[in-house]
Amino acid sequence: MLSRTALAMLTAAMLSGTAAAETFRWSSDTDPQTMDPHAVNSAPVLGFLNNVYEGLVRRDKGMAVEGALAERWEPIGKDGWRFHLRKGVTFHDGSKFNAEDVLFSYQRASSEAADTASWFAPVSEVKIVDDHTIDFLTTAPNPIFPDSIANFMILDKGWAEDNNAALPSKEEENFATLNANGTGAFKLVERQPGLKTVLEPHGGWWGTVEHNITRAEFTPIQNPATAVAALLSGDVDMINPVPVQDAAKLKQRDAVTVIEGIEARVIMLGFAHAAETLKYGADAGKPNPFRDARVRKAVAHSVNVDAILQTIMRGSATAESQLISPAMRGYSKDLSSRPAVDVGKARALLAEAGYADGFSFGLKCPNDRYLNDESVCQAVVSMLAKIGLKAELDAMPVRNYWPELRADNFDMYLLGWSPGTFDAEHPIRFLAHTPNKEKKLGSWNFGDFSNSRVDELLPQIQSEIDDSKRQAMLDESAKILQDEMAYVPLYVQPLIWGTRDNVDLTQRPDNFFILRWTTVK
Amino acid sequence: MLAFTLQRVFQSIVVLLVVGLVAFSMFRFVGDPIDNMLGQERTDADIERLRGELGLDQPFPIQYGKFLKNAVQGNFGISYRQARPVSTILAERAPATLELAAVSGLFAIFFGVGLGVFTAIRRDGFAANAIMTISLLGVSLPTFLIGILLIYVFAVELGWLPSFGRGDTVKIGGWSTGFLTASGLKAIILPAITLGLYQMTLIMRLVRSEMLEVLRADYIRFARARGLKERAINFRHALKNTLVPVITVTGLQLGAIIAFAIITETVFQWPGVGLLFINAIQFVDIPVMAAYLMLISVMFVGINLIVDLLYFSIDPRLRIDRSAAEG
Repeated sequence: MLSRTALAMLTAAMLSGTAAAETFRWSSDTDPQTMDPHAVNSAPVLGFLNNVYEGLVRRDKGMAVEGALAERWEPIGKDGWRFHLRKGVTFHDGSKFNAEDVLFSYQRASSEAADTASWFAPVSEVKIVDDHTIDFLTTAPNPIFPDSIANFMILDKGWAEDNNAALPSKEEENFATLNANGTGAFKLVERQPGLKTVLEPHGGWWGTVEHNITRAEFTPIQNPATAVAALLSGDVDMINPVPVQDAAKLKQRDAVTVIEGIEARVIMLGFAHAAETLKYGADAGKPNPFRDARVRKAVAHSVNVDAILQTIMRGSATAESQLISPAMRGYSKDLSSRPAVDVGKARALLAEAGYADGFSFGLKCPNDRYLNDESVCQAVVSMLAKIGLKAELDAMPVRNYWPELRADNFDMYLLGWSPGTFDAEHPIRFLAHTPNKEKKLGSWNFGDFSNSRVDELLPQIQSEIDDSKRQAMLDESAKILQDEMAYVPLYVQPLIWGTRDNVDLTQRPDNFFILRWTTVK
Repeated sequence: MLAFTLQRVFQSIVVLLVVGLVAFSMFRFVGDPIDNMLGQERTDADIERLRGELGLDQPFPIQYGKFLKNAVQGNFGISYRQARPVSTILAERAPATLELAAVSGLFAIFFGVGLGVFTAIRRDGFAANAIMTISLLGVSLPTFLIGILLIYVFAVELGWLPSFGRGDTVKIGGWSTGFLTASGLKAIILPAITLGLYQMTLIMRLVRSEMLEVLRADYIRFARARGLKERAINFRHALKNTLVPVITVTGLQLGAIIAFAIITETVFQWPGVGLLFINAIQFVDIPVMAAYLMLISVMFVGINLIVDLLYFSIDPRLRIDRSAAEG
């Protein structure tokens, strides 16, 4: 009897179902680990929070910087930048936005506890001029400062202080870890870490509403096959990413659309420049051939990037010759051609360097960091074999990978780099400058590449106000890096999203999904 | 009985300590949590500072000692990734896993015993043979494949059931249940079948072979000779006598259900502790990994203990033997 009642209830429950048609549901493979915009400087967090919080400036659909909480800004001579703040902006809880909030957010985001402090390294002081004007003074002229703070998000001072969240917290939970109060187009209404995060439109938003979303639910789905199934069955309206191998299949399905673009991330091969000897393979202990630029060039001439893209990336990425993609500011247009695939030339270069018979060495590679990273490395190994270079591939999860690279345990390695500022200066600072702990430069230059001219140019690039002079110096740096073959850039990583057919959205190259550009038909 | 229980409890504690030690010594090979916690623009100084704050620069016996000291007090530390207390996170996630385990356990027992009895009684029938053959598939197909298969059939092609997640949940006290909403009930069907299929087959085959054994026994023949009804013979006499090994296996499998839930939870994005653990490995979230492993071992040890004690109540012979030996 009891079971019959239960069955009846179950049936009734199933028939009634839950209907919420206007809810937009999307998923990604990573959950933003916190709702605090200053606690973690990572793309999943900043990308998600761009819907909830706003900065002084923001990036438009084409990645150009435009005003957000600042209506306009101008350099104060060579001393810094003045931002004129938008009036009549309110936070989600209704409190008014003014210069106090900007100063407070600056102090919060540049504190030792914040992960975003590096953005403010050039800032010497922040001064409130009046309620809606604020000055960011810099130690040296800084032409790209507004670009570099597009993800610097503004919190309400009163809200943060009232809730004991005046400082971000990475090691402990605080109020801002689970709650948010921004000025963005959407407000956070529910947060269950790792499960579900719900947004609803902010009624008092200052901007013009382009979207037609009344409620948006984000769910992380780690398993790629499950994500694809969820999209196909209509349980979610959008997934990011679509696995490369599934993209072609999805394109043939009726109800879904595959959106492809390129990300800002350049995948490249790096070398041990400073190591005296090789560390892996049959020739371990022998002098390190990668110290010789001719050997590095031989590598560049032997890797057939187009073949890699055709087979492993199924045609959805583009070959690259510099450390940044053409979409970035400061790209050197004259240096856009990759070294031609030429086995003969590669062999000649090796012979010239004294390695006519080739040698063997170790190639380190992550297997869960970049799209199909391990397969790309395997392809590189087989291509290098054609010129007599025997690479011993060691692929590992990224959680083991960075410690290995930091410990200099490689002869050659694979690296992907996405410039946070979308500017050519960024990879020079992190990848090309001689590592220098005091000045915090070259912190990802694992192979210790060092070139005095590149080092000399970097501070000048950073403080040059004149665009053409700056570009000339960027070009010179890029030329040196190419001539020296400090890295062998391979390709720009593709960006593949999948949506239901009735969804219209904009894919931005930084892999941020912006809800306010999304409409559901 | 008391001595037996105490002895078992003592053994269990030793097992737990060893599990913890082995787990902790392995964490060093899982990877380095630091890079996941700091952004791209971190400096070497940041790395050193955070390593010091987390105590990762200390030798692992000291780290283990600290962990034990806190764990005994019920404090499993703060998750590196979520920056929230591990005990809170586990408490949030446990209901999902326990509900899933309970439903798939019931599914396995109900269908396992039912089909086991059926195939034993109709041992040469067509249906029984078909079931036996199909059950081979259940044992041999890996869980994630069954899961994906079910998703494609019932979610993508037929559109009857959701492809992932737990649906809407209702909070009762600290417990979030999916049993009270339509979407929650729908959502549990596929994961429960996926998770319980292997156990169901196992129980079915076990019940069947035990039944076949028992049905040949003398007391069944006498029962038949007495003219008892088939139904009474099969279920009252035969089935009851097959239950001791079935309970052993079912009990042990309950632990396996919760532990194997890792795979099912990953395939269905089921928000339980298994999925949490997989995430923790990916991000080298040592406090979460440690707490999970300890909980799972506590559970296994506990289940073993209970199964041992259950023998006493089900099988009178054990009681007699032991009291005879003790007396």
